Amino acid sequence: MIQLTNLNKTFGQNIAVSNMNMTLTEGKVMGLIGQNGAGKTTTFRMLLNFIKPTSGTITWNDQQITQNDKQRIGFLPEERGLYQKRTVEEQILYFAELHGMKRSDARVALKDWMKRLDVVGKVSDKVQSLSKGNAQKVQMIASLIFEPSLLILDEPFSGLDPVNTSLMMDEIIRLRDNGAMIIFSSHDMNNVTKISDDLTMLKRGKIVLQGPVQNIREQFGRTRVYVESSTSSAALKAIDGVASVTPHGVGYDLILSEEEAGHRVFDLVTKNGYIPAFSQQPPTLDDIFRQEVAIHD
Amino acid sequence: MTNQLFIVIKDTFLSQFKSRGYWMLVISPLIFAALAGAVIFGITKMQGNTTPNIAVVGNQEVRSILVQSEKELDIHVSNITNEKKANTALQNEKLDGVLTVNKNEATITTQPKSEQIPKEKITAILGNLSRSQKATQYGLTAEQTADLVQPYNLKSVVKQAKQSTNSGNTESANQLIASAIGIITIIIVMWYTSMIANAIANEKSSRIMEILLAATSARVQYFGKIIGIFALVTTHLLIYVIAGFTTFNFFKENSFVKGLASNLNGVTLSFIIYAVIFVLVSVALYLVLTSMIASLINDNAQVQQAIQPISMIAMVGYVFSFIMTQMPNNLLIRILSYIPFASQSMMPIRLVTHTEGWPAAISALLIAVITLFLLLWFGQGIYARNVLSYSDEPIMKQLAARLRHK
Repeated sequence: MIQLTNLNKTFGQNIAVSNMNMTLTEGKVMGLIGQNGAGKTTTFRMLLNFIKPTSGTITWNDQQITQNDKQRIGFLPEERGLYQKRTVEEQILYFAELHGMKRSDARVALKDWMKRLDVVGKVSDKVQSLSKGNAQKVQMIASLIFEPSLLILDEPFSGLDPVNTSLMMDEIIRLRDNGAMIIFSSHDMNNVTKISDDLTMLKRGKIVLQGPVQNIREQFGRTRVYVESSTSSAALKAIDGVASVTPHGVGYDLILSEEEAGHRVFDLVTKNGYIPAFSQQPPTLDDIFRQEVAIHD
Repeated sequence: MTNQLFIVIKDTFLSQFKSRGYWMLVISPLIFAALAGAVIFGITKMQGNTTPNIAVVGNQEVRSILVQSEKELDIHVSNITNEKKANTALQNEKLDGVLTVNKNEATITTQPKSEQIPKEKITAILGNLSRSQKATQYGLTAEQTADLVQPYNLKSVVKQAKQSTNSGNTESANQLIASAIGIITIIIVMWYTSMIANAIANEKSSRIMEILLAATSARVQYFGKIIGIFALVTTHLLIYVIAGFTTFNFFKENSFVKGLASNLNGVTLSFIIYAVIFVLVSVALYLVLTSMIASLINDNAQVQQAIQPISMIAMVGYVFSFIMTQMPNNLLIRILSYIPFASQSMMPIRLVTHTEGWPAAISALLIAVITLFLLLWFGQGIYARNVLSYSDEPIMKQLAARLRHK
């Protein structure tokens, strides 16, 4: 378990991270969200010991993180970088060796990873000859090949197409199921929802939301309704507690000002019997993100 | 950590060693030397037989002596002894010269296409012969005559505090080596500072450094890079030593190689060891300095900006080594001979010219070694602080700021 306790980081007069408390647990994925400059990368850099916190502590199983511990950390930086003139094998073996993996084991594992991530090319190909997508996959292999105990991913899905995003997600979930601690940042709330067990939202270095994803969503109430019925838009809008009605396909999306208004909507649309769809959900992470950003501005 | 350091050293070394660029660096001077050798060899061959063919007329005794001295004088004495026949042969370019010896004088006649005739050596032989004949006329004994023609012997001795050295034997060879040190150091510094700066700039600008530092410490990267590149330098020099040794053995019967070998006969082993250690320590110093400055680079385009001041520092010692030959006791030059980064181009020359003795030479080397360790220790902090920070400020301004906040 990794514990960040009362963590602060300032650069001159600028507060990058303020009084952060966070726990990373084995077998759990933590999504770290926030606008640009919210302090996500600074948090990662402190976790990686690139920079020292101004105050506060970071411990791994109640011990300070040592150089040996760092060998068990996989890191995918936001700005991807590989040795362009080296072959895939040369650089992956180098990174794997630095993480304490035997060269012979890494060589075998690399072939397996190339297949698993469907990399088009050979291990003897130079990175400069690979397509951007395949180079990104090689970068991922560099971070994952040694089966890290802690995986830090800074915008792992940026620049990936949906198929490769899905491949990446599968690997993150597989590592989580094998007991790794995973923390990642993303601006894509849909992806965050899909793979995060826990969520931390930062706003100007401060935590504004934290907890299991479903709990966070539930605490905002089930204020989103999707309904398919013959009831008119005007009739839906006239219900007490309905803030907005937006056509969506063959139905309507309703935003409620209070959760209880859902009962009134349900009663009205089912007055004449069967309807094909009615769903009352908490707001999406995207909605919550926008709402929180607006509130704290 | 030791294992990680070894991995970084190995990667730094092998990634360069396997590159085409490194081998171009190693081979290009060898190709240049081979081409120069081939040109010299070709010119020599094209010149054909350059030994002048001379006819000696008018004095049989002189002719006999010159025949005996053919090898020493590098001449061929013709069978022609008749003056008329000799002049005809000269006109027909069959001879390079006709030496006509009269009672108290001699005349050497040549034609426009004549090979070079060693006139001074011939004059010396004729002079000795004349003095010897006159001594006999004056009734001097053979011993008196020999004593009279004995040339005056002027020995060159340099007086040092504790010992006197015969400078003539070793000085020229050692001076040759000392001058070579300055040139070799400059070339190696130019090549390898550029190499280490590019390696660091590449990893920093492409953000590979972040992946590396996620697994290792900045300290491991810093020492790994320096030791890896330093290993390349020693390998490079070792390749030249092996190439030189092989070439020497292959061509040891060649007259040019023989001449060179006799010139280098006087090189002392202690001086060679001293010079090699000094070159290696100095190159290491420059690598450490470059690593510190290269950690401030944002992208590869700034590499030249980073290594320019380093090249200039390397040139200081080299330039002053020339000034030193004119004013070896100038205070500034004496001080510079002990200052690391310049001392490698100056102190070995001062040692071989006996301007300084071994205590001073060892002191300068020790100062360089101590500075190397201090700079290594100091540099790791600079490197760690800057290798992940990116600034648009000019590199030297950044370095000055970092040094102020050390």
